[in-house]
Amino acid sequence: MNKINKLLENIGRGVGRVVGAMYQAGRDSIDQVIKNVLPFMAFISLIVGIILKSGIGDWLAKTLSPLAGSLLGLVVLSIIIAIPVLSPLLGPGAVIASIIGTLLGTQFATKAIPAQYALPALFAINPQVGMDFIPVGLALGEAEPETVEVGVPAILFSRLITGPLAVVLAYFASFGLYTN
Amino acid sequence: MQALATAAEWFIGLFKAGADNFVGLVTGIVPLLIVLMTFVNALIALIGPDKIDKVGEAAAKEGLIYYPIRYMILPFLSVFFLTNPMAYTMGRFLPEKYKPAFYDSAVSYVHPPLGIFPHVNPGEYFVWGGIAAGVEQAGYNLSALAIRYLLIGLVVILIRGIVTERITAIMSKRAVSTEAAS
Repeated sequence: MNKINKLLENIGRGVGRVVGAMYQAGRDSIDQVIKNVLPFMAFISLIVGIILKSGIGDWLAKTLSPLAGSLLGLVVLSIIIAIPVLSPLLGPGAVIASIIGTLLGTQFATKAIPAQYALPALFAINPQVGMDFIPVGLALGEAEPETVEVGVPAILFSRLITGPLAVVLAYFASFGLYTN
Repeated sequence: MQALATAAEWFIGLFKAGADNFVGLVTGIVPLLIVLMTFVNALIALIGPDKIDKVGEAAAKEGLIYYPIRYMILPFLSVFFLTNPMAYTMGRFLPEKYKPAFYDSAVSYVHPPLGIFPHVNPGEYFVWGGIAAGVEQAGYNLSALAIRYLLIGLVVILIRGIVTERITAIMSKRAVSTEAAS
């Protein structure tokens, strides 16, 4: 009788743990969506609406799309964004990357830029990722002040190399994607 | 009067287009995002994020074969289980000389999984979502792009880790020698 009780207790505890975890996970997801995702969607939608209806989109299609629709153009874009003075300014909240991504997205939608450039474009808009956050990120990893002193310029300069490199790599990796 | 009415119509048209776009995003992305995030968050809570501490300890070792562990597997697991920004705390297992490279590697991986695992960084979804929405509107399937973004991201963070590790080594050597000279 004791064994059965024990078993029932364990099952109850296990189920409780799983259900509790799932409920908490649901609560966290809804929190995230309301606090972070929906406000961003509102903001992105505003930009997209203005671009599509005001004629900026047509202008973009003529000027930006030839640039973003070639490997060289994307590499140039990534180098500009990766410049060590600019990259920390462009980093916060990934807002700039999201805006450029959305702008390019409107051009992908009309096929002004061929879809096979989507993969290199994803890397080209984002060589500045985390550059505003280096001291905090290193502090989270419990780095010494000396490491931060050396690490900040090291990461900034490294991006100038690996930013464009990522675009080229992504370009070659996108062979066979969306070609027909 | 007619001109005013036309202007007003044009003005409200800007926001109507935006509103249509918003509805598309909310009905198209949000439900999937919520359910998927709930699943992965529950999974992480049940597994226990502290399980990856052992990987952190292994990644601290010297030697060529530990590069992929340090700059591919550890950043991937950190970002997947701890998400942005807690993923960077995994750097505490590494010696000082690897910390900048690990941060560079980990922070570069908070966007590539977004197409398949949006829970890692839902607040910055549109780094992926902006281009992805356009590609989808052009009539293409997104899974192929999402998978390639995730995989090439792994290669890119490995390269970033190695390059930054080298540059850090060169710069700290220079910092030490200028300190000795002065």
